Amino acid sequence: MGARARLDCPSVSDASVTILDADALQRLRDLDPKGKNHLLERVLAAFETSAVRLSRQLVEARRGNHMDGVRLVAHTLKSSSASIGALALSRLCAEIEAQVRTGALSGIDDRLDAMDRELRAVLQAVSPLLKPPQ
Amino acid sequence: MTLRAVPFADDLPERPRVLLVDDDEVNLLLTSVALRDQGFDVTEASNGEKAIRVLADWLPDIVVLDAVMPGLDGFETCRELRVLPGFESLPVLMLTGLDDDASIARAYEAGATDFFVKSPQWSLLSGRLRYLLRASRTRVELERSKSRLARAQDLARMGSFDWRRGQGGPVFSIEGLRVFGFSPGDHPAFRTLLRMVPDEERSAFLELTHSAMERSTVLATDVHARLQDARQRIVHIEAEPEFNEHGNLIGYTGIVQDVTDRRLAEDRIRHLANFDTLTGLPNRRQLIWRAEKALEHGRRLGHQVALLLIDLDRFKVINDTLGHGAGDELLIEVSRRLRSCVRHSDQVLESSLESVGVRSHRTLEAVGRLGGDEFVALLPEVIDEADAERVAARILEVMRKPITIGMQECFVTASVGIAIFPRDGANVADLLRNSDIAMYAVKSAGRNSSSLYRPTLAGVGREKLELESALHKAIERNELVLHYQPKIDVRGAKMVGAEALMRWRRHGVLVAPGDFIPLAEETGLIIPLSEWAIREAARQARIWQDNFGFADSIAVNLPNRLFERTDLVEYIHNAVTTYGVPHHMIELEITETGLMKDLQNVIPSLHRLNEIGVEISIDDFGTGYSSLAYLTTLPISELKIDRSFVRDLGMTPQSSAVVTAIIALARSLGLRVIAEGVENLRQMEVLHRLGCGIMQGFLFSKPQAPEDIERWLQQTVLPKKAPWIGQASAGDVPEPPRATRGRDSRLTTPLG
Repeated sequence: MGARARLDCPSVSDASVTILDADALQRLRDLDPKGKNHLLERVLAAFETSAVRLSRQLVEARRGNHMDGVRLVAHTLKSSSASIGALALSRLCAEIEAQVRTGALSGIDDRLDAMDRELRAVLQAVSPLLKPPQ
Repeated sequence: MTLRAVPFADDLPERPRVLLVDDDEVNLLLTSVALRDQGFDVTEASNGEKAIRVLADWLPDIVVLDAVMPGLDGFETCRELRVLPGFESLPVLMLTGLDDDASIARAYEAGATDFFVKSPQWSLLSGRLRYLLRASRTRVELERSKSRLARAQDLARMGSFDWRRGQGGPVFSIEGLRVFGFSPGDHPAFRTLLRMVPDEERSAFLELTHSAMERSTVLATDVHARLQDARQRIVHIEAEPEFNEHGNLIGYTGIVQDVTDRRLAEDRIRHLANFDTLTGLPNRRQLIWRAEKALEHGRRLGHQVALLLIDLDRFKVINDTLGHGAGDELLIEVSRRLRSCVRHSDQVLESSLESVGVRSHRTLEAVGRLGGDEFVALLPEVIDEADAERVAARILEVMRKPITIGMQECFVTASVGIAIFPRDGANVADLLRNSDIAMYAVKSAGRNSSSLYRPTLAGVGREKLELESALHKAIERNELVLHYQPKIDVRGAKMVGAEALMRWRRHGVLVAPGDFIPLAEETGLIIPLSEWAIREAARQARIWQDNFGFADSIAVNLPNRLFERTDLVEYIHNAVTTYGVPHHMIELEITETGLMKDLQNVIPSLHRLNEIGVEISIDDFGTGYSSLAYLTTLPISELKIDRSFVRDLGMTPQSSAVVTAIIALARSLGLRVIAEGVENLRQMEVLHRLGCGIMQGFLFSKPQAPEDIERWLQQTVLPKKAPWIGQASAGDVPEPPRATRGRDSRLTTPLG
């Protein structure tokens, strides 16, 4: 999680623009306007670490049909994805969390797959932001 | 108790310490960065277990808990930290999701202070934290102030209560219960409380509360209460009515306070202010107050009031001889006796005084002490003056029995002056003054009696009183002087001694001895006055010795009572030693009457004086009834022929016969003889012819200030310019042979 990039340079790909909400990213940048603390990097790195772990937990929970585990992953991912501006992912997580809580589980597998896809897309969008500029 | 200023609730720590607990690393990181940015000091914990560990030895200002966490979730963590000591009122904010109503309810159940819906709007979170911190601070202050109030109330033995109409008895705070000796948790019924009030006060108290409630007024009263442990306390109750929105009384709220100690202190102060500490009798202030009340009643009901001023006779002598301790004991006993002469009431119930028609003023009757040895008996209602005189007679009667102090029996009498309202004065001051005048009339008439005031008495006693108090101060103010009248040896034309005569220079005017010596004798002041005269004479003898070789004696007149003093010899010895003159330079004169009146007591003193060389002269000789038998044995040196015989010399044959006899007597007893009051040459010649060669009188010199005597010696005697000089020596009568007993040098001492 060391310093790898200056993040205020306009080298962000199109994908990241659509998957990660620009306003949300700007709010994060505002917390560390001059980038001294490499806050954005650290947050995104933390997201990446946590998302990879959660994604593994989700696979296991689904395999064991462990709905509480599913719910906890969805809950955690819901707020952390919202924090980095992955709004679509956050929305999917919220829907899944609500489904599990209410027990209305129809179509949940599709949603979980969609969440998995979206998570990958988010991680892909995050990845270039973590790399130091060439 | 120190009271520190309470910090304002806004006065938050500079960087409030936050414990942030969240299992989501992203959120943890972002929240803590945001909060640090907003001035918080953030400690992170990634789960509930870690948070509890951190809190084991650290107390943050606030805890922020994520509600949903694996393992120990936010609710459990909150529950656990609440039971840790010191965390009971720590603010805890629970972070929940937007759509999670159930969590909100659970958060409060778990003991969270508040909840916050997670949001990337960081400033919202920090605003909420500050609000919570302020609220918490306010609450802590409130708790502190509540406990301070409880402590203050406890110290003040005070507590509060509320009473709601129709809801049973009053509800007390813990402190309020304590005032009545109840434990926390007790709910005493109104009936129980009422039973604590003594029977005689209960109905009055009930009446008061009912009337306060009827009129919806403030209730404030003191009531006695007998607690369950039988302690008697005085409880102050103060309560204000409370009203509902329609303005109807719904109850009372107020305080109860144990004011027993304060009341006792107040009673003590009142007692000190109104009663004499030595005798316990009402003091001047209380007496005057009572007298004023008595006069009010007298005016209203049209009866007479009597004021008896009682002054002990010769109390000063007792005080001087037995000491102040004995004097105090005597006053206490006198007070006891005086009380028995009237219907003395220690306490006056002011409320009862107001009831008209009742003979309530009777309770004013008392004996009080004005100060010193002066007492007053106040009789609030007398039929006539005989009524008052009867009480006075009773007072004189109870004093007749001797008072034993230590081992000694004292006889004390009193002089009583009576003034009657309204006849002798319309107010207390006039009555006091007039009873004083009447009392002084008794004193001058010989004491140990009583007298009613009469307008004719006014003035006499007062003047004397003033004179007496001025004379008291005369010595210390240096107002007394001695004048000297020379004793002349007419044949040798020289001064052979002088008689010292006291003068009082008062307001620049010389008061004649006749105007103050009798008073001094009466009051006992003659003792210090005489002692002063002895010292002053010794001092003057020294001055004359130095100035012109004076070696004769200065005669000082002493009252016989001074001869009774065992320390007289010592006193004279000290006086002459102080000024370095021989003892014989002081001669003492005692009147024949004084000597004979008290012969037995005076004789030992005369012997001792004689032994140290102080000679005694008998003044006014021939006017008393001397026992010739005694005269032969008395250690005296000189007889002074009374001026009345000298005045009549050459006019009545009887006077020359008396003078001849005295001279013969003196000669046969070996005493000097001297004639006083010699005013003309004829008297001088006759005396000389009859054999009296030493004289004193205006013919030679009136009594003069010592400096004037010196001038007179220089200007008149030495140059032999006076008409009397040469007359006697020119006569053909030889100086009679003189048997000397004692020193005789004066006759040969030349004037220097």
